[in-house]
Amino acid sequence: MKDSLRQSMALFHTWSGLLLGWLLFAMFATGTAAYFQDEITRWMQPEVTGSADPETSAQGAVRYLNQVAPDAVSWYITLPNGRSATTQVYWQPGDGTRGKRGETSAVLDQTGRAITVRETSGGFFLYRFHFDLHYMPVLWARYLVGIAAMFMLTAILSGIVTHKKIFADFFMLRFGKGQRSWLDAHNVTAVIALPFHLMITFTGLVTLASMYMPWGIAANYASPAVFQEQVFGREPAAERSGRAQPLVDLAPLMRAASAGWGGKQVGYISVTNPGDATARVLLTRSPGAAIAARGETAAFAGATGKALGGHTASGAALATESVMIGLHTGRFAQWGLRWLYFLSGIGGTIMVGSGLVLWTVKRRARLPDPARPHFGFRLVERLNIAAIPGLATGLAVYFLANRLLPGDLAQRADREIDSLFLAWLAVGLWGMVRPAGRAWTETLALAGACFAAVPVVNALTTSRGFAASIMNGDWLFVAFDVVMIALAASFLHAASKVAQHRAKKAAAPPRRTARKAVSQ
Amino acid sequence: MGRSTVGRANVAARLLAAIPANYLLTSLAAAALARLLWRGLGVDPANASVAAMLASFVMFSVLALVAFGVRSTLKLWLWMIGSGAVLSAGLWLSLASGGRL
Repeated sequence: MKDSLRQSMALFHTWSGLLLGWLLFAMFATGTAAYFQDEITRWMQPEVTGSADPETSAQGAVRYLNQVAPDAVSWYITLPNGRSATTQVYWQPGDGTRGKRGETSAVLDQTGRAITVRETSGGFFLYRFHFDLHYMPVLWARYLVGIAAMFMLTAILSGIVTHKKIFADFFMLRFGKGQRSWLDAHNVTAVIALPFHLMITFTGLVTLASMYMPWGIAANYASPAVFQEQVFGREPAAERSGRAQPLVDLAPLMRAASAGWGGKQVGYISVTNPGDATARVLLTRSPGAAIAARGETAAFAGATGKALGGHTASGAALATESVMIGLHTGRFAQWGLRWLYFLSGIGGTIMVGSGLVLWTVKRRARLPDPARPHFGFRLVERLNIAAIPGLATGLAVYFLANRLLPGDLAQRADREIDSLFLAWLAVGLWGMVRPAGRAWTETLALAGACFAAVPVVNALTTSRGFAASIMNGDWLFVAFDVVMIALAASFLHAASKVAQHRAKKAAAPPRRTARKAVSQ
Repeated sequence: MGRSTVGRANVAARLLAAIPANYLLTSLAAAALARLLWRGLGVDPANASVAAMLASFVMFSVLALVAFGVRSTLKLWLWMIGSGAVLSAGLWLSLASGGRL
């Protein structure tokens, strides 16, 4: 009975893992990168240097918005934090139109001037791709991502049941043993960071829970809007009175709010009916200041600066949800913890990737004729090439495009993103037309070469190359180059391993290889 | 041939139980739990709803595994239909006796 349970769980693990493994690989890879989204954005805007003060930035943003969108319905201001140096503003136009994103948003420096050089979506794009994907409606993407996450959760749980010697295997990583090594790599990356994988998958589902499982809310509320109002204290905006009245200075309001939260800083500002007597300012606590993602808020009258009270969602379940979302996004994490998040994420990416490869390695041995595999096997093998070296090449090309595309190109940020997908597509097609073994070597080497090119191109096109960054103590740029070199080395190493393996296989007579693989 | 047809039907029945039927049953359970916590145990409605939502993800994933782990497909379906009926009745009674916000 116990063994048959393990068998059925093993089967379940194999197929649930395979079915959405490719999407999960992309989600893990971009989600991991997104732990450094602010740093990636800074790297992709090399012209922006130094740090910004939140209060000065808020005042600068108000100056900008007063000129650009004085009669907007509302303004949203994301303030710079310790990691970013720019302010992001977004506004809802007063004439009721929903302008295109580029027309109703801007990135500002702390004096409130729009940054127009080298337009980029930066690390923010990687963060959004992690759950919104691209080139498809956001709603579909989020359902797809949710299904993938649920498969991941069940794959993890069934993987635990399947695993006989979970603690013994913790210390077991045998290199150069074919299938056994792939299984070890899958197990080690899965088991070392098992608590992380479980946490990140579950909390990931929780971040979009009310989309996936709205029935708990629907059972108690006739409309989700009532729930929203009760939990987040979002009030419908008042009608404009028509009496113009300038907005008060935001800096004292920020100080007052911060004092009320025990010194935690303000992260977001929204202003409804700016410039009107009915203006209302809502300050939200910075997500970096505490684990819980749903920060405290404080409201003020925009014309007088009078405090209108604040709102903190309370209760055990809401607090649990808020902390879970905070754990997933990791915005609270300082440097040490942030790197741990990043490394655990890399571990998760390798876990998914090695699981995908393991599927083919295991089956290759059992193929009736290894030289001519059946369609399903070939499909999985090709999709693995597209998913793993393909995405890696795409990410490297995204960074390269940021440095190489002309600075004044129209819709430059979108062109950067297109470069990523074009490179990804090209590698995918390459994997389709070449023999699989050779395609692995070539595409892994290509991914490695592209990552290696990033520091070189950066040094040639900006004044913030590796040597200069070390001299200036610019550790963010140094670390970026180091990570690129580490990725390049890993992919080139993988390419040479595959090449060696192929050479060995070619030297041995094919029949013996097949039998050897079976006995392993 | 006969054996493999039975095997395939069995896998299909389990897949059906593990994904669509599981989602239906979990949704019912989440809705019923949200009602029970609020109306029955006096938790405020927002927290009752969110608690049920959080619990539902645990329930769904465990039930998906159970659908492939248990021996008898027939028993699995009988259990799921039975608990679905009980949950629906409870939910209907609760909604009929006191409305939503």
